[in-house]
Parts: sequence; C-alpha cells; structure tokens
Amino acid sequence: MKKFKFLLLALSSILFLNVVKAQTADEIIAKHIEAIGGVERLLALKTSVSEASLDVNGMAIAVKMTQVHNVGHRIDINAMGLENFIIQTPTEGWTFMPIQGQASPEPTAPEVVKETADLLDIQGPLLNYKEKGHQVEFLGKEDFEGVDCFKLKLIAKGGAQITFFIDPSTYYIIKSISKTKASGKEVEATQTFSNYVKLPSGYVFPYAMTGVGPGELKISKIELNVPVDEKIFKVSK
Amino acid sequence: MKKFSFLVAIIFCLNAGVQAQINSNTFGMLEARHLGPGTMSGRITSIEGVNNDPKTLYIGTAGGGVWKTVNAGSVFKSIFDKYCQSIGAIAIDQKNPKVIYVGTGESNMRNSVSIGDGIYKSTDAGDNWNKIGLDSTEHISKIIIDHSNPNIIYVSVPGPLWSSSKHRGLYRSIDAGKTFEKIFYINENTGCADISMDPRNAQTLYATTWEFRRLPYSFNSGGAGSGIYKSVDAGKTWKELSKGLPAKPFGRVALTLAPSSPDNMLAIVESNKTGLYISADGGENWKEQSASMNVVSRPFYFSTLVIDPKDPKRVYRPALNFSYSSDGGYSFTDAGSEGGWVHSDHHALWINPNNTDQMYLGTDGGVYMSMNKGVNWTFFQNLPVGQFYHVQTDLKTPYNVFGGLQDNGSWVAPSQSYGGVSNGNWRDIFFGDGFWTQPDLNDPNTVYAESQGGNAARINLKTGLSVKIQPQQGATEDKLRWNWNTPIVLGIKNNKNLYMGAQYLYKSTDQGRNWLRISPDLTTNDKKKQNQEKSGGLSADNTSAENHCTIFTIAESPLDENLIWVGTDDGNLQYSMDGGKNWVNVSNNIAASGIPSQTWVSSIEPSRFDKNVVYASFDNHMYGDHKTYLGKSIDMGKTWTLIKSDEFIGFAHKIKEDLINKDLLFLGTEMGLFASLDGGTSWFRMKNNIPWYALVRDIQIHPKTHDLVLGTHGRGIIIIDDISPMRFMTRDISEKDVHFFQPEPMKLTQGNYADGGSPSTGGLVAPNAATIPPFQYYLKDRVSSGEVKIDILDKDGKLVQSIPASKRKGINRVYWNQRIIPPKVAQGTSPDYSGFVAPQVLPGDYTIRLTVGKNVYNTKLTAYHDDDDDKSYTLAERMLNYKTALQLHGMHEELAKEVEAIADRQKILKQASEKTKNNKTKVMLEEYYSKLEEIKSIMVPTEKRSIFAEIKRLREDISDVYISISSQEAPPSNLQLERVRLLDNKVKAAGRDVKTVVAKYGLKAETAIKKEGLISDPGANKAF
Repeated sequence: MKKFKFLLLALSSILFLNVVKAQTADEIIAKHIEAIGGVERLLALKTSVSEASLDVNGMAIAVKMTQVHNVGHRIDINAMGLENFIIQTPTEGWTFMPIQGQASPEPTAPEVVKETADLLDIQGPLLNYKEKGHQVEFLGKEDFEGVDCFKLKLIAKGGAQITFFIDPSTYYIIKSISKTKASGKEVEATQTFSNYVKLPSGYVFPYAMTGVGPGELKISKIELNVPVDEKIFKVSK
Repeated sequence: MKKFSFLVAIIFCLNAGVQAQINSNTFGMLEARHLGPGTMSGRITSIEGVNNDPKTLYIGTAGGGVWKTVNAGSVFKSIFDKYCQSIGAIAIDQKNPKVIYVGTGESNMRNSVSIGDGIYKSTDAGDNWNKIGLDSTEHISKIIIDHSNPNIIYVSVPGPLWSSSKHRGLYRSIDAGKTFEKIFYINENTGCADISMDPRNAQTLYATTWEFRRLPYSFNSGGAGSGIYKSVDAGKTWKELSKGLPAKPFGRVALTLAPSSPDNMLAIVESNKTGLYISADGGENWKEQSASMNVVSRPFYFSTLVIDPKDPKRVYRPALNFSYSSDGGYSFTDAGSEGGWVHSDHHALWINPNNTDQMYLGTDGGVYMSMNKGVNWTFFQNLPVGQFYHVQTDLKTPYNVFGGLQDNGSWVAPSQSYGGVSNGNWRDIFFGDGFWTQPDLNDPNTVYAESQGGNAARINLKTGLSVKIQPQQGATEDKLRWNWNTPIVLGIKNNKNLYMGAQYLYKSTDQGRNWLRISPDLTTNDKKKQNQEKSGGLSADNTSAENHCTIFTIAESPLDENLIWVGTDDGNLQYSMDGGKNWVNVSNNIAASGIPSQTWVSSIEPSRFDKNVVYASFDNHMYGDHKTYLGKSIDMGKTWTLIKSDEFIGFAHKIKEDLINKDLLFLGTEMGLFASLDGGTSWFRMKNNIPWYALVRDIQIHPKTHDLVLGTHGRGIIIIDDISPMRFMTRDISEKDVHFFQPEPMKLTQGNYADGGSPSTGGLVAPNAATIPPFQYYLKDRVSSGEVKIDILDKDGKLVQSIPASKRKGINRVYWNQRIIPPKVAQGTSPDYSGFVAPQVLPGDYTIRLTVGKNVYNTKLTAYHDDDDDKSYTLAERMLNYKTALQLHGMHEELAKEVEAIADRQKILKQASEKTKNNKTKVMLEEYYSKLEEIKSIMVPTEKRSIFAEIKRLREDISDVYISISSQEAPPSNLQLERVRLLDNKVKAAGRDVKTVVAKYGLKAETAIKKEGLISDPGANKAF
C-alpha cells in the first residue's frame, strides 16, 4: 500500500500531461501543454476534486483526490470499510492508513515534505518550469511499450526528479518515473497514464493510471475549480 | 499446454512473409524473467565507489553490464541494459559524482572474453547514457580523470585481442569526452594496459604497454612493445622506465602507486623473471621485491595491484587468491576463509578512502565486501551475472534448468519453486568451469556434466556422486584433443544416444559406461595448430583453453537418429547418414556461400520438419572477424544460403528452430537475441526485458511449457514463459486493430507454488511463471483514449468478474484469478480481508468480453477441473466447497447491508438528538441509537484499537471460515459446515434483532423527528 504515497507524484503529473516533430524540450513542452488544454486554462486551474477506484482482485477501493494549487493535496481511500488518508501541504504531510494498522495519523518526514513540495503545483511543473526554478532536459526518444516517446527529465527546485515519456502522436504523457531520495532512501516509482478524456471545459486528463496503488486507478469523475474547504488539509491528532 | 487452438498447418501457411509490421514491440508483454542465480555470480571487472558517498558503487561485469548500488550492496540495480554488456573500466568524476564513464570491452584477456564497442558517459549518475567514442577499441582497461581538471580524461586501450589494430594506445580527451586524441602509441600489436596519475601533480603519468595476441589455438603475452613509461608533461612525451627492472621483453605489467605517498610504486612485471618490483622515487629506480605465487600468477589475467589510500605499506594483490601485505609488498598473507570461501580469480578492488578497513572485491564469482582490510569477506548473493556457456532443460513439472558457467561449475535449479526460485534452489553438481550439462531424459536421477577439456562425468542427482566417463585414447588413435568447451550431447530423435566429441565422435547408448568411436578425425588435423604446450608467451599457460582442431558441436537429427551433424572449431561441418559409418564434409560448400573456411561451427540445428534442411551458426571472431554468420541449407549441405540481416550484431553462438512453427527462428549472438517469424527472411532484436546486447550463448525451447530458455554469458538464465503468441502471429492479425486470441480450455487451479509466504530476507529470488494462463489480445496501436477491460460472464450472461486490461501496442496479457467478485464486507473499525477474497468459479462455459473503447470483442472459454491430473477431489467435493463459500459470501453481504442500514439510521438519530429541544425525545433517540449500537457491536468491531488487540465479532467469525474455504480446493470439514450453519443463524438472529429494535423505536423516532422538523424528511431514507 506504500504505492498510495506515489499518488501525490502521479497527481502532479496528470495535470500537465500531453506530442510529432519537436526538437527541443521547450517545443515539446509547449505542444504538450497545448494538448492538455493550453497555457491559459492551466494557469486558471486552482482546484481539482477527482473520484476514482482501484481494482484489487475485483474489489473496488474508493479513492477521492482533492487538490488546491500549491496549498494542499489530500487523498482519501476507503478500503474494507476503513477511511484512510494522505495529506500534503507545503509545510507538512500526514498519513493515516488504518488499513495498514495505523491507529492515528503519522507525520511525513520533513525532508520528504520539502523534496516533494514542488509537486503541489497542480498546473504541473512543466508549465513555466523555468520561472518555477525547475530544470528540464530533453533526453531524446525512447521506446515505451511500442511508442517511441519523447523523454524529458525534470529536476524540480526541491530536488525531486521526474522523467516524462510523451507520446509524439498525441503529446500526452504516457509514463513517468519519479525519483526521490529524502531521508536517505532512494525511491523510484513508475506510473503510466491512459484513457485520456477531454472535458467540456477543454482540459484533457488521463482517466486511468497504474503505479499509484495496487492495480489500475480508474477515475470516474473530475471537478475543476470547485470550492474546497482548506481545513481538510489540517489534521487534528 | 497448448494456448491457442490454431492448427499448426494453417500457421505455416499464414506465416509466410509475416514480418513486415512485426517486431519486438509486437511481443513486448512476453517479458522475460531472470532466474539468476545469485548464489554464484559472474566475473567482475571493475568496481568504483563514490568517495563522498561510499555506499554508492558501480560494478562493471564481464558480460552483465553495469550494476549500481546506493546502499552498500543491499540492492544492486542493472543500469546498462541497452548497451554492450562487456565492461572494461568505470570512472567516476569524484568532484561531480553524477558524471560516470564506462569503457566497454573487458581486458582480462582470457579465451572467452567478450568485446566492447566504445566508451559511454552518463551525467546523471547512470540513469541515462551516451556513447562518446572509441568505437573500434574493443577492449578498454582503465579510465582516469584528471583530479585538477575533470574535463581531461585518459583511457588506456589494450585494443583487440584477436587481431592487429591501430586503435590501441593511450587516449586523452580534454573536453570531457566530446573528442579523443591518441597520445601514446607503440604499434598495432601493443596496447596500453594501465595508466596512473600522480595525485599531487596531474602532469605526471605512468603507463604500461602490453604486446599480446590470441589465436584460436595459442596465446602470447609479451614482446618488444611491452614496457613501463612515465610522462611529466601530461602525456606529451614519454620516457621508458628500466633501471632495476628485469631484462625485456616484458609481458603485462600491473602498476600502482601509493596515493598517500605517490613516489612509492609497485609493479608486477611479467617477464622471463616475473616478479614484484618496488620504486621509492617515482619509478626512476626499481628493485626486486620478494613475492608469493599469488603475486606472480597469470599476469595476463590478474592485473590488479592496489595500495591502501592512507597507508603506503599496506598492499593488496587480488589474483588467484586474495593476499595482502603490511610491509610494502615484502611478504604477503592470504585472506582467511572464516565467514566463507572467497571465489578465486580476482580482477577488481575498491577501497573506501574514508574507511580503509572497508573494501569491495570483484572475482570470477561475484562481489565480496570486507570490513577488516581484506582479512575476511562477505559475499553479495544478489548480483545475477553468471556466465553460462550452455543451458538445457528436463521434462519434469516444473522443469529443471541445467547449465555450466565460466569458473563456476555446473548447476541445476527448478524453473519454478515455492515462493519463487531462490538461491537455495540452486544446486552445484560438478566442479571446474562448467559447460554442457545434460539431464538424462530417461533417467531423472542422472545428469552428464563436465569441466574444461572434456572432463565429463555421469552424476547421480540423488547422491551427488559422479563417475568419470570421458572417452579414452585407443591403440589406433592419436592423442585425443578436447575442446575447452567439449560438446556432450543427447540425441534428439533417440535421447538414449549420448555423444561426445574430441577430434573423433564418440557415441554411448549406456549412459557413458561404454563408448564407440563412430568417426575418423573430423577436423582438419592441422598440426601447426596443436602446439598448446608452448602457449602463453612469457608465462606458460596451457589450461585446455587453446586446444584446437576439435569437435565443437554435435547434433542428431530430430527425424532420424542415423543422421548426425558435427561441426569443428577449425571450420569443418560433416554429416553421416548411417550413424557414423560414412561422413560427408560440406565445409567447402559453406565457404562457397561466403563464410571464411576456418570459421568455428558454433551450433548446428537440423530441422525437425525436413531432413534435408539444416541451419548452422558460425563464429569467426577468433580471427578478428565479428560478423554474424548464419547459414541454411535445404539440400543436405550441398548448397548454403547465408542468412543476413541489418539487425544482426555480434558473432553467432546459437541458431534454434521452433518446435512447432518451422518459420520461427531464434539466433543468439555475442550481442543479443534475434527472432524471425518468416524462416529467416527478416529479423528483429528481442528486447522483452532482456538486456538488448546480452551475450546469448545457448537457446532451448521447452516442449511442454513452450518457454524460451536462454543461457547467457553474463546475465544467468533468462526465461520467456510461453512463446505461443510468436507462433501464432500472422500478417492478417498484425494488420487488425484488435485481435482477441481464442483461449485454450482453462484448467481451474489454486496455484502450485504458494506464491505468498514470508518475504525474502535477501539474496536473489526469481519470480515464478504465472500459474493461470492469461487472456491474450493484440492491439495494433497503444490505446490512449478509451477504456480497455475484460469481463467474464457466465453461461447465463451474468457478470462474474471485470478486470482492467492493458493497452500496450502488440500482444497484451491479462490474468484472471478464476474467481468471482469479492463480497462487500460490513464496515467496522478494523479491516477485514474478506473483501479481497472470492470463491473460485466452477467448471463450465464462460463468455470473455474484451472492450476496447467503444468496441467489444467476445470469445468463449471453457473452464475445467483436470481430474486426470489431480484426483485429490471429486467434482461433488469441489461443488460443496463452492456452494459453502458462496453461502458465506452471501452472509458477508447480508451483514454489510444490515450494518450499513444501522449506520444510516444512527447518522440521522445523532443529528436529530443534537437538534431536539425535547428532553424526552432526546432520551428516546439516544436510546434508539444505543440499542442499534449494541447490535452493531455484535456484528462488527466498533471501537478503535491497535491491530495487535484483535477484536472478533460476527464479521470476523464469518471471515475465518470464508477465507479458509475460499482459499482451498478441499471440501469443508464437518465442523466447518456446522460452523457455517451456526454463523448463518447468528446473521439471521442479528437481522431479527435489528427488526425488533426498529419495530420498537422506528416509528416513534420518525414521528418525533418529523414533528419537530429536525430532519427535513427522515422517512425518505429507506433505512430509517
């Protein structure tokens, strides 16, 4: 169930998803941004609330993901009748997984919070990445499951690394590899993204992901720019 | 175990010319699993650590690429899977340790050494690599980075082993690898073996040069070109050092300087007076130092000599054994064996400069770590870089894998085991370098194995005892010549036939107890190539590695046991059609096709579909020719067609024809695995979780499981489970957007190898193959938009299970656990795992519905119990199991419904009791709430407690029985059935209790709530 933790990384990825003949990182990123809604739309994106489920041996685990741009991410997981959550803000993080035997919320290591704080950017780290202090390197093309993808490596200001694999035919991100090493532990996580859907509002999101928990995460509903009570990012022990 | 119902005959017709749109991606999901082992590893050629983070190390291997650990060896990760696997040298820019250089092409110049294709650079600590040059150097022995200017790097290049070359020498880059210039060169037969830099002054360099050459039948180390040189101007000019050194010629020289006192130097100088020499003045003057056998042994192979970073007197000599000196090399002591034997033959040593007690050693058998300056060692059992020469399988279930490895004997392991194939599953069955290891298919307790030079034995697997069976020279025969890698081969048509080849072919029909010579000398018998006793150069070295004019490969036709093919290491390919009475040499016919006449015949594959058809692979790298030679004859060797492909790289080791589809071919070379689906017309490199440039020495296809089993020389055993989709892929299918393969009838099973159990506590554990066969479908393109899923429907069309499905281009595989949807379980304050458990379905007919976006594809599946295979339970017993599990499944759902209804009521009661201003109503609502809570607390845990303070309620009681029965094929016991009846009564009783409470309070509560308007419409909630 540790993979749930990578939901945070995945969530930040899916919001800047989306490429045939781009030669530079900036050109690829520009086409990707355009493919998932465009600069203006992404800049206007402030909140996101998604409902999803994870299929584990036929059992559906309900997942709700609530994000406020650069303010907080919260993932609620209802499994076997238990309410679990993972919260992260720029300054703190909490995990409460009674399904794993936790009796009360446990804090995320400050180093991890610091390293992954950049990922609270729901407009996506690729959008205006230079202004945000990130670095991006174009690593050429690499095959992923039969698709000769553009490969971009982003080193976030806080230290987290994400390598994106962008489908040249759609400019959607179809795979990402996130690497963190806070607390002396190098962790690499791979996510894949598929079933892209264009919402009436013009945003394009993947409705299916792997690598964010056991099995495939299927998104059933996404609401954007809806009011979110920021109290949900606070934990009272 | 057939997976599809296509008719073989149809396949053959359809497959013609199928290749156009098919490549490795088409079969991307046929991902290989790596069997290891880790219990014996492989040759390590280079170890480098990050000085400021000494738990991060890079390991270079002889044939397994580069591995990285960031935790001092707890976990090793392969980081060079897309590139040449033979590694000569690694260098880290210690000022910016994200910059790594890897020189390919090992320089331990043994007979079986592979070749490199240049130097690579990473700027992100090994995540990504770029080749930056020196493509034709073949072997790189060392890379050093200027400590004062990391843009300057030096690369010592011994160069090609098997040919003369102008690409030898010392190279320098002054622009961090963008360009290279050769700054020191002796001649085309002499390369640069070593380079060192004075840590105080980057202008001062020491280089050793080495003249060497191998021929297929001899080795020479030494010559006028070898020497020790010094430059004080960063390589512009060089001065040869000689004062106090032995008389030339030299062979290979191992040179080192003391980092803490760089004027102090040591050198092991191969010469007519090989020994350890010492200098205290930067190499200007030398004197001979006493030295042990270990110090002076095999200089061409053991070229490592290291001085402690802090103590100039502490000297390490990793060689045949590990020895150390505390007196500057005057005397040496061998490492202890307490804590475990250290594998012999050492080639790399890295000492942690911050803690010089800690060091890592690279041997022919893997990596070791010492924490006490090399006195004792701990082995890392998690580095699967074994170097197999050959692989074979038997017919057991699960089948066993047999093989012999470079310097690591012969081994056997099951292809699957409980919890996966771990190091403990591997069994060492014979010593020495291991090669052909053949299980006797008629005697499951017998296996044939050998060490180098045909030292063969029949081994009793029960007792481990062996009997030597190597044929002996007769009165009328020449001295027998046995190849280093002597073939021991079982007949394919008649597997009671056992063959061995010296220069003559021998056959035994009684397990090697008696032999019959069935051929004359089948080689060229060129006497000029038979002077092995003079091999080695300055240091005599005759270990059978250079034996020549020998038989190298033998193959009995799958169609006729009297048709026997034999290939030799000197270019002969001969066959007999009468069991060895008469022989026909077709070597001239092969040469006519363009294959050089002296080329080794590396493998022969007589077709199992046509006696006149034969394939053969040829290896001419020992004459400096790296081309991939693959030949086919359709007329018993009279004429040959050279099969070519732009995809081919690396000299060829093995050609394998599929057992079912005559057009499906596999070719293993020194640089990868290639496949053809059209009889060799076109080829593609197989990636499939296989290192792209793996050294594929041998290939087998298992006749029952259809697994492709690879023996690699650097990545151990690699298995691709069930290659059936490769057999059945056709052009028609490949051009369809979606093709859903008809599944074979599916045996219902609860697994064979108990994949659960305790997690591994370390060491390599290879995964098992899937127990349940997958549903397989082909997608022409990856699906980016639209859902892909598989639904299983019963004969009445009722949904049994729904599974998210993969969307990759090519073949997709989706696994169904043969179970229905798990029950919804009642919500409590602790988890209940019944929500992940479901009963296994019963035999019958099912519809499998594949949805791809808006399109639906249906196919039929028959599920069955294999009563022939498993007589443990009757159908009636299985049905009782299913019925009982389903009853418990229903009880869970019923309980969940009740608990959910209670929770809904309690939610309303809580809100209302907080709002009411009527004390009497408040008391009544709270009482109602409490009564419901009382019943709920019987049904599920209602208080939060630690997972270590178990609370058992009705839900848990049901789960105990439900999980047990659902997880077994056995029928429920009498007491389990009794328990089910009791629990059923309890569920019903709880339901009645709820009804009683609701009857007592429900209407009253609803009326009071409505009257006060506490909740807008409590009655609208059906639960209330």
